Amino acid sequence: MNKPELIRISFKLNEKTVEAQVSPEMTVLEMLRRIFRLNAAKEGCGKGECGACTVLLNNQPINSCLKLAASLTCSDAILTVEGLENNALMKHVQQAFVDEGAVQCGFCIPGMALSSYHLLKTCQKPDAHQIKQALSGNICRCTGYMKIEAAVKKAADTRSK
Amino acid sequence: MINQISFFKPDSVIQACEILARENNSLPVAGGTDLIVKIRNGMFPQTTAFVDLSSLPLRFIRETDGQIEIGSGCTMTEVIENPLVCKHFPTLTKAASTVGALQIRNLATIGGNSANSSPAGDTIPAMFALEASIKIRSKSGLRTVKIDQFFTGPGKNVLQRGEIIESFLLPKRETRGVFLKLGERKAHAISKINLALATWTESGKAKFRVAMGSVAPTVIRAPEVEKLLESSSQPFSDEVIAEAASLATKAARPISDVRSSQAYRKQMAGVLMKRAMNAF
Ligand SMILES: Cc1cc2nc3c(=O)[nH]c(=O)nc-3n(C[C@H](O)[C@H](O)[C@H](O)COP(=O)(O)OP(=O)(O)OC[C@H]3O[C@@H](n4cnc5c(N)ncnc54)[C@H](O)[C@@H]3O)c2cc1C
Ligand code: FES
Ligand code: FES
Repeated sequence: MNKPELIRISFKLNEKTVEAQVSPEMTVLEMLRRIFRLNAAKEGCGKGECGACTVLLNNQPINSCLKLAASLTCSDAILTVEGLENNALMKHVQQAFVDEGAVQCGFCIPGMALSSYHLLKTCQKPDAHQIKQALSGNICRCTGYMKIEAAVKKAADTRSK
Repeated sequence: MINQISFFKPDSVIQACEILARENNSLPVAGGTDLIVKIRNGMFPQTTAFVDLSSLPLRFIRETDGQIEIGSGCTMTEVIENPLVCKHFPTLTKAASTVGALQIRNLATIGGNSANSSPAGDTIPAMFALEASIKIRSKSGLRTVKIDQFFTGPGKNVLQRGEIIESFLLPKRETRGVFLKLGERKAHAISKINLALATWTESGKAKFRVAMGSVAPTVIRAPEVEKLLESSSQPFSDEVIAEAASLATKAARPISDVRSSQAYRKQMAGVLMKRAMNAF
């Protein structure tokens, strides 16, 4: 059998225009980890259930394990935790996670952080229900969620406007 | 995992249909939330090509003579946030907002939900209750099929090779409604059973449509319940509500599967019916 066909794509990754050659069945998650060596997004389940692979596609959280990389176009923008390294709101969220002791093994945390970041970006003062809703696609097998919810609440309460 | 797959990014809907017609064992991909999982599970080993629908102009919601047309490529999030849909079809807004978590709703399309044709697909009973039709495109033209003629069995529908769902046409009327589902757990579980109710006024008379999913090989309507509600005066008495629940239980002819037993589903049809009446 001959080699699988590779598709050339170009899109925005963490605010830079990038190019890649991907196989037809490669997911965005596999591409991020294997081609771009961005390892924050993780594969927990590979089927849309755990949220460990959460990234932002055009500012919306998605499960990157379910999106085919080949379908990305030059108008698409992917944002990962790595791309928010110097972002004030993300730093604030991360600090709140640390302060509240909301991190144990850490596997779910990049996804949790991105979902929390997206919530705080789109909602000034989320209530407890909104926080639960926003994180409901992210599974954590360690913390029992209480401290994570407390961290998001703290981040919301203490942010400078 | 899979060998020798091609990936097509067509420039137009027609071109997508042409490729799908030409390429044996090619599959359209919209949000991928059903398809990628199935492929992972080895369900389509013979696939030779993906035809990507996600960049095609199928993401629109617009009014056309007496109807509201929802493009198949709209994500659940786009449907939920659309003011036209919210104003006219709250049943659909509610159904779409129960699909998965936010990360899923940002990918999952309304077209993919029907095309996948799971008896548990959550937007399907809402489409039944709202009397939707499906606009189907192929390289040779368009055809329109009523929603209750579209599904032929679990995972099966009338789509032929080379055909795709272009949009859903919903009669434009202001309706009120409810969507309820029961799953394994509260957040984001596939429905064990779901129920959509829509009501509107037509020539001074109240109309009711009730549809249930996962209680038969395809989504079904419950015409006996609809007749009862249309002939009873509102607000409904406890007797009418109890009668509606018992008719819903009778209408259900479920299977037993890994998610639930037959007896449980039948009984739950009545419970959901009652809850829908009280929620409404
Ligand atoms: C974790 C998880 C949770 C979920 N929760 C729910 C839930 O609560 N409720 C629910 O109803 N569903 C749920 N789903 C299933 C799925 O998200 C929905 O069915 C979704 O609407 C499918 O749309 P898609 O765009 O992702 O379809 P895809 O996966 O892209 O396609 C599904 C099928 O339809 C075909 N297809 C897609 N678009 C078209 C078109 N326009 N014309 C013709 N054929 C087409 C594809 O070839 C494929 O066979 C869940 C899935 C996951 C992974
Ligand atoms: S790895 Fe994507 S949701 Fe679990
Ligand atoms: S901290 Fe371990 S999975 Fe969340």
